[in-house]
Amino acid sequence: MEGEKYQPSLIRMWRVWRTAKEMMNDRGYLVIEDDMTLSLEDFAQKYAREDGEPDRSRLNFSCQPSEEMLLKYTPAPTKKEPNPTPEIGTIWIEFNSDENVGLKQLRDYMGHLLNGSFYSGIMVTVKPMTGMAIRLLRGATGMSDGPKGGVEVFVEQDLLVNITKHELVPKHVLLSAEEKDQLLQRYRLKQTQLPRIQSTDPVAKYLGLRRGAVVKIIRKSETAGRYASYRWVI
Amino acid sequence: MPPKSILKKTTTVSTNAPGRTKPLNPRHLDVALHHANILEERKRVERQVLESIMTLMDFPASPNADAKRPTATDAHQFREAVVPFQPADYDALIEERNIANKCGYALCPRPKRKARSTARKQFVDTDHGVEIVDRKVLEVWCSDDCARRALYVKVQLSEEPAWSRQGGYGDTIELMVENADEHQKALPLRLKEGPTSSTNDDEDDLAAAWAAREDAMTDLAVERGEKPGQLSKANNDLVQDQITERFATNVPPQPPSLPSQSSEHTMAIEGHVPRSDRKDEEKDEDDDPQDWDKHLPG
Repeated sequence: MEGEKYQPSLIRMWRVWRTAKEMMNDRGYLVIEDDMTLSLEDFAQKYAREDGEPDRSRLNFSCQPSEEMLLKYTPAPTKKEPNPTPEIGTIWIEFNSDENVGLKQLRDYMGHLLNGSFYSGIMVTVKPMTGMAIRLLRGATGMSDGPKGGVEVFVEQDLLVNITKHELVPKHVLLSAEEKDQLLQRYRLKQTQLPRIQSTDPVAKYLGLRRGAVVKIIRKSETAGRYASYRWVI
Repeated sequence: MPPKSILKKTTTVSTNAPGRTKPLNPRHLDVALHHANILEERKRVERQVLESIMTLMDFPASPNADAKRPTATDAHQFREAVVPFQPADYDALIEERNIANKCGYALCPRPKRKARSTARKQFVDTDHGVEIVDRKVLEVWCSDDCARRALYVKVQLSEEPAWSRQGGYGDTIELMVENADEHQKALPLRLKEGPTSSTNDDEDDLAAAWAAREDAMTDLAVERGEKPGQLSKANNDLVQDQITERFATNVPPQPPSLPSQSSEHTMAIEGHVPRSDRKDEEKDEDDDPQDWDKHLPG
């Protein structure tokens, strides 16, 4: 049997890694198709150490945003800035192998992101971070010493299963600045009049939604076939 | 051409618009500002605590410092940094230091103690026999002495968060050190001004009185736990000194009462007695004296 051939920790890591790749693809980064469908055998061959445990330091990867994504993240041109630059860039995903992640590891990671001139980063930890590290993370998005796009932290357990593939999770699509303006004009709304979604919502975290963005949520409807609703991220 | 509205034109909107620039009630603005300032203060304190923890993580500066006899500067810095902490923040500091493989006491440069094995639970010999404890609990301090010193600081911390503290209580943290007299000298001395010499001039008296009042106010502010240049906790605008008396109404309040005959009824539902219950009860009461012999066989 397959389960007996490999260590449980390796199988776990394989699933986490695959979900991370799928997540990057869903966000719009360029991901090789084979990576998302990598089989357990190939994974074990590539990333397992001799004792059968996964080698987390070799799992780290970076992603480039696709053209489509760059367009989506470009803010609408204003008078002051007629040629806005897209607010997205290369992302670095690191799998941390430390048992406990505190301020020290987080600061090292932020330093690494700045050195490698990455726009944003995702840290995948074995166990939840300490409270103080979370506090630093919360304050760091607007701070000058962190990377521009901020740092996201996931616990391995959160990525074991790709939640967006569950049948009860509707499709979430991020709207670009232009689409958002069209929507608000079409319904003659202010953005504050939209229904809301928290940025801590599991799907919002999965898609890395930022405050102020609008997502289109497409659900199945018995009467209408499909039903789209829009939510403002807070 | 924009679509025409079918709604009634509201003229009040246009008249209200210029009025909205100034608040309808200045008190509302004051209340909003007061709460906003409290929130801002809270954010400032939280950021300060975070920064203190980051500096204390890499404490003490020199690797051959001694936890028993810390240098005066180290001790002073530690004491200052720890004042706004709550006990939970102090625990966080210990946790962070442990992750960095250091003893939990911020003035101790040694690494934390290693447990005998990597098992999750450990046997420990204590005065009351063998105890089983978590490995994490064992690997916090480098020695029992450091633990005692660190916890001596923890019990002095105020449970109340620093942004809502009042008064000078808990402003000084004592350390358990062996060279206490060295640290005493390092404390900044507060200079007391001597009493001003009295002069005959009236204006000087007046000015002196005002100055004395200012001094008293700043003293009070310090007593409330404020620092110079910080937001004042005593908000004069929100507390008004006008006292308006409340006049009692002429009619004294009446105790609530229910219709007496129905409320005493056992079957009453909110004062109402259903007809079926009422009849039976009445009949029962009427027949009661004869009841016992009525059913008796002849």
